[in-house]
Amino acid sequence: MSTEEQIREIIAEITHVDKESITRESSFADIKADSLDIVQAMVAIEETFDIEIPDEEAQGFQDFGDFIGYVERCVADKEKA
Amino acid sequence: MTKPLKGKLALVTGSGRGIGKAIALKLASQGADVVVNFFRNRDGAEKTAREIENLGVKVEIIRANIGDPAKIDEMFDIIKNKFGYLDILINNAASGVGRSVLDVDVKAWDWTMDINAKAALLCSQRAALLMEGRNGKIVNISSLGSSLTWPSYAIVGISKATLEALTRYLATELSPRGICVNTVSASTVETEAIKFYSRVKDMRHPTPAGRMVTPEDVAAAVAFLCSEDAFMIRGQKIIVDGGTSIAPFAALKEKQG
Repeated sequence: MSTEEQIREIIAEITHVDKESITRESSFADIKADSLDIVQAMVAIEETFDIEIPDEEAQGFQDFGDFIGYVERCVADKEKA
Repeated sequence: MTKPLKGKLALVTGSGRGIGKAIALKLASQGADVVVNFFRNRDGAEKTAREIENLGVKVEIIRANIGDPAKIDEMFDIIKNKFGYLDILINNAASGVGRSVLDVDVKAWDWTMDINAKAALLCSQRAALLMEGRNGKIVNISSLGSSLTWPSYAIVGISKATLEALTRYLATELSPRGICVNTVSASTVETEAIKFYSRVKDMRHPTPAGRMVTPEDVAAAVAFLCSEDAFMIRGQKIIVDGGTSIAPFAALKEKQG
């Protein structure tokens, strides 16, 4: 499963929304996630990929595309290292 | 003059910012080496660590989500392997979900209780082993919401009440080991966390003392409880609120003029 697929599955499970509604163009606001959903999704994704998503980074995400892109870069950096 | 906490090691959970940061700096200023624990704010933790280093003491940064017992174990394994002892534990890290009591669901309850109460138990259990023969100090950071009620504060207030009860049991059962356990409770403190409750109006209010409580005010009370002068104080709560809790109508009077 791709990184994007895994992220969509994790967010869908935590926020109880349909996976199809999580696209690169949508955001946590669009799926009506609250602050606890968001932080729990962050924690789950950090643990799944063994990466760190600092708050200051996360605050800059406009949509899931930004989020997925950031995680993909972290995963790629880890593979290189 | 030798600093009173020279040679001591303190762990302050959630010390990347706010009250935790002020406590970490205060203990460092008194000579303690400090373990800075953070979870979501690496920049803040690194900045805190640099400020601590500038005070001429050792500092270690450990990232750990203390809502997860396995991560608490990992954090204490690092402390045990690197230092082998601990003198001071400040259970400061806190989180919460701003909801009314009827809107608190299982997820919000578990999240808040895990971080604000369960973590303090687990950290204290591990810390007690590292404090063997060292006259350890444990201070739990609470808030007035443990006994008063505020809108959207239910679950946090409940978790803080649990933390205060935990203080009393720990104090009793750890006393024979020479460990002092107490609570410092504060009213609304001027930190970033205040934004979290931004839906609640008028969280910022002067106290009978004429200003809001600062993180440094809380840190000063914590430092006192970590001193040998406080040796006979066990399982108690020091309230740092500028008199708010004994003058509930002071703010009201101010508004009415």
